Amino acid sequence: MRVDSVTKLDKLRNDYRKLIDTQKKRILVCLGPGCLAMGSDTILEEFKKVFSEKKVKDVTVESVKKTGCHGFCARGPLVVIEPDGIFYTKVKKIHVAEIVEKTLMNGEIIDKLLYIDPKSNKQIIDYKEIPFYAHQQRISLRNVGQIDPDNIGDYIANSGYAAMAKALTTMSPQEVIDEVSKSGLRGRGGAGFPTGRKWATCAKVESDTRYVICNGDEGDPGAFMDRCIMEGDPHSVIEGMIICAFAVGSREGYIYVREEYPLAVINLQTAIDAAREYGFLGENIMGSGLNFDIKISRGGGAFVCGESSALMKSVAGEVGEPRAKYVRSVVKGLRDQPTVLNNVESFATVPVILDKGSEWFASIGTKKSTGTKAFSLAGKINNTGLIEVPMGVTLREIIYDIGDGIPKGRKFKAVQTGGPSGGCLPEDKLDLPVDFDTLTEAGSMMGSGGMVIMDDQTCMVEVARYFLEFLVFESCGKCVPCREGLYQLYKLCTKICEGEATEDDIDLMEKLSKTIQIASLCGLGQSGPNPFVSTLQYFRDEYLAHIRDKKCPGGVCRKLITYKINDLCTGCLACIDVCPVKAITGKKKEKHVLDTDICDRCGACYAVCTFDAIDIE
Amino acid sequence: MIDIQLNGKMVKAEEGEMLLSIIRREGIDVPALCDHQAIEPCGSCRLCMVEISHRDWEGWKKHVTSCLYPAEDGLIVNTHTEQVLEIRRNILDLYLARCPNSKVIQKLAEEHGVYKTSFDKIPNADNCIMCYACTRICEVLGRSAISAVYRGHDKVIAPPFNEEPPDCIGCLSCAMICPTGVIPWSDENGVRTIWKKKFDLIVCEKCGKEIISRDFADYLIETRAIPEDYFKSCDDCKRIDLARKMGAIVLQAEEAKL
Amino acid sequence: MTHDMDKIREIISRSPAQPSSLITVLQDIQREFHYLPCEALKEASKMLYVPLSKVFSASTFYNAFSLTPRGENIIRVCQGTACHIRGADQLLEQLETGLQIKSGQTTPDMKYTLEVVNCVGACAMAPVMIVNDKYHANVRVDRALKLAKRG
Repeated sequence: MRVDSVTKLDKLRNDYRKLIDTQKKRILVCLGPGCLAMGSDTILEEFKKVFSEKKVKDVTVESVKKTGCHGFCARGPLVVIEPDGIFYTKVKKIHVAEIVEKTLMNGEIIDKLLYIDPKSNKQIIDYKEIPFYAHQQRISLRNVGQIDPDNIGDYIANSGYAAMAKALTTMSPQEVIDEVSKSGLRGRGGAGFPTGRKWATCAKVESDTRYVICNGDEGDPGAFMDRCIMEGDPHSVIEGMIICAFAVGSREGYIYVREEYPLAVINLQTAIDAAREYGFLGENIMGSGLNFDIKISRGGGAFVCGESSALMKSVAGEVGEPRAKYVRSVVKGLRDQPTVLNNVESFATVPVILDKGSEWFASIGTKKSTGTKAFSLAGKINNTGLIEVPMGVTLREIIYDIGDGIPKGRKFKAVQTGGPSGGCLPEDKLDLPVDFDTLTEAGSMMGSGGMVIMDDQTCMVEVARYFLEFLVFESCGKCVPCREGLYQLYKLCTKICEGEATEDDIDLMEKLSKTIQIASLCGLGQSGPNPFVSTLQYFRDEYLAHIRDKKCPGGVCRKLITYKINDLCTGCLACIDVCPVKAITGKKKEKHVLDTDICDRCGACYAVCTFDAIDIE
Repeated sequence: MIDIQLNGKMVKAEEGEMLLSIIRREGIDVPALCDHQAIEPCGSCRLCMVEISHRDWEGWKKHVTSCLYPAEDGLIVNTHTEQVLEIRRNILDLYLARCPNSKVIQKLAEEHGVYKTSFDKIPNADNCIMCYACTRICEVLGRSAISAVYRGHDKVIAPPFNEEPPDCIGCLSCAMICPTGVIPWSDENGVRTIWKKKFDLIVCEKCGKEIISRDFADYLIETRAIPEDYFKSCDDCKRIDLARKMGAIVLQAEEAKL
Repeated sequence: MTHDMDKIREIISRSPAQPSSLITVLQDIQREFHYLPCEALKEASKMLYVPLSKVFSASTFYNAFSLTPRGENIIRVCQGTACHIRGADQLLEQLETGLQIKSGQTTPDMKYTLEVVNCVGACAMAPVMIVNDKYHANVRVDRALKLAKRG
């Protein structure tokens, strides 16, 4: 069924809204990455099974919807009952029958599945009142966790494709570019380049062929925002790309999805097929004369393919080595044609800007960083999950008001943002606003949105070593500063972790870092030393402790710590079972003995001990 | 023609001409290990980096590889600032750790004041400087028999599956272009060996000298329209032949005059 | 190990016969055989008009591809930042000790292959392990080996 006019789209929207309204209740089962990893797909199946066997008033099997990531991963699996917003947490398959019986049939709330606010100790029924959600403003994530990503009807009912229709039927390409420029939208992939300016430059290049590519590589470890948008609201990305194609004059689009995200590929393809059916992709879209279609291009597994010229090589079927030439991809990109490359979140935001207006978007956030930003909160934090906040919100608000601080009563040590290109910021920087520029000035960067919290049991030198190891593994190997330089930086950092380094080694590493930053061919190398440089800036005392005192304050670096069993040991055998080198001996109910000569300080015993009987010195 | 400022001096250049070519024309010595006139620049060694600015940039500077940066009017180039020299020294320092026995690297490093490496030598160090000249020339010739395989620090130049490369024609271009002479090859008893592959050599019908591999000759005949009998004699014998023929013509002409 | 050449050709012909199909074709071959057999790569070179050296470069450049046969069960331990600070190294060590192989290797009976992967995007539930495409979240160090062997 082709929808080729605004009238038809309006009617379709109303029809879909009416359809949704016929279901008095909607049961949303979160199938985001966190909940899915906890088996939420079996919960979805169980609901469907129960509804096929039972008759419940006003609720049918169509009321049960899978959704993308609702956000509060730490409390998953999540089931939300709309329109009341009843928020059930840590749901198991065995709870499904009870939810149907008590909540759906009898309107009763099941207390044991509710969230308890740790500050007030009160149960909260409606998720919108939970601080984790209350502090957020979800724009790029507007539909994620709310709609079934496989159902284009849900998307259209929620004003989907209205912005595209508005752009294609009432605006000129230049007007679209102007609107995006006025909104102040900056690339959400990390670089923060003004999106409107990028589109304008591409549109001006004289060429018959132009490409629109969505960068779904999301290689930063710790980041999963783009995954959630691609899986949970794929149409938002498609709509953004269509609007871009119209603005710059492109017929061919690609969504480059990293190899590690197979579900994103499936959900995006389903959405592309549905969009084609409705005529939102293909020939003469909305009668505007725009011919545009999208193909998915899968990555082969390489972090460097997040870099734009390497990504384009990969789309062309080649090895993902960045281009050494000084040519911008907006001028000469894929197959040497003008190409717009934008991030998933950037494209997902475009329809809202066109729909609600650039002024509205620019009124959110800060002057130089307008709008909102999605973050994935992970690491040593109570409320891990997917969030979106206005730019300018402080790190402290995110970590404590939304994230509810550090688990197990431990102390905050550092917040890592920007992935391997970013840095770590300490406690006294927590009142910095999160935006494109402030964190960069402080020696880190906001990056694509991955935010990993570290506590006092983290060693910052080891964190630098970890990132360097990652980068050495992922470097394409083409240029000397990155291939050889990061390798040597990694070797030296390892030396520090092993207590074999001198202070001269730090000077050498600082000198080498500057060369790598200036001389590397691409962004991977240029930003490669950042984790080392930023941890050295804020945690120099830890580096010196490793070198001068041969100690690891975080209790992590294996060659510098010792494990001991103390008198709290009850002889439960848990550590004996788990020790990979058989360093612990003992009988049941007798204090175990740890042989420090055999012990390789892996920490498995510490992880399983529930009696605080293991000390790390 | 445009004007750029090079080390304080105004020089003329073609718009879009790569800075390295202008720098060399002006007689300035900037190292460039992965550069070779037979192939396109690839920007991998980073030694040719220079500092650039522009009269419109309000003093803002950046560093670029001169082999790949095109000249534009108003550009300001400095090839030997303290920072640029520091970059070159550090890169050569890294090269010494990678290729500790390479005379080419040692010489270049010494010229820049680096006499030994600050780093640990890498395991399995050899003299390959990963300049990709060999793979690039092979591609230019239209064979692409060898390539850079693996990634990052494990990257090496190798034939597919580390076996005899099916597309190799034994032309020796890779071995000849290699700045550190690291690709082994041999010509013995009419057989050439390179990349573990053996090639029959064509010998000159006149003097018996080994000229070229049969496969390379066939490739040239097929793709470059070289006549089939061209490789029957070597270049020296061809010159002797030609000299004889020219000589005969001169003699004939003189006899005709008489 | 020999493979059905007809099957290989069928897989390759699913994509347009041009160089830009290379990565997709390699993925399709990998999915079918769980690794990239040498004869499949040679056939891909012919059918897609890509020099064999470039096919080989692509096969060795990307993390997803394996040039050696892998086991029946693929166990992947995520090494993303969140997983790293929540004990991914400990999980890996448990598995290496329990399966008697190092990461990147396959058990001699071809039952298990152990690999690491750089972030699968399930960071909120770190540490994460994937066994045959099934995700396991918040994996406890004393349960890792059991989960892996369950297959």
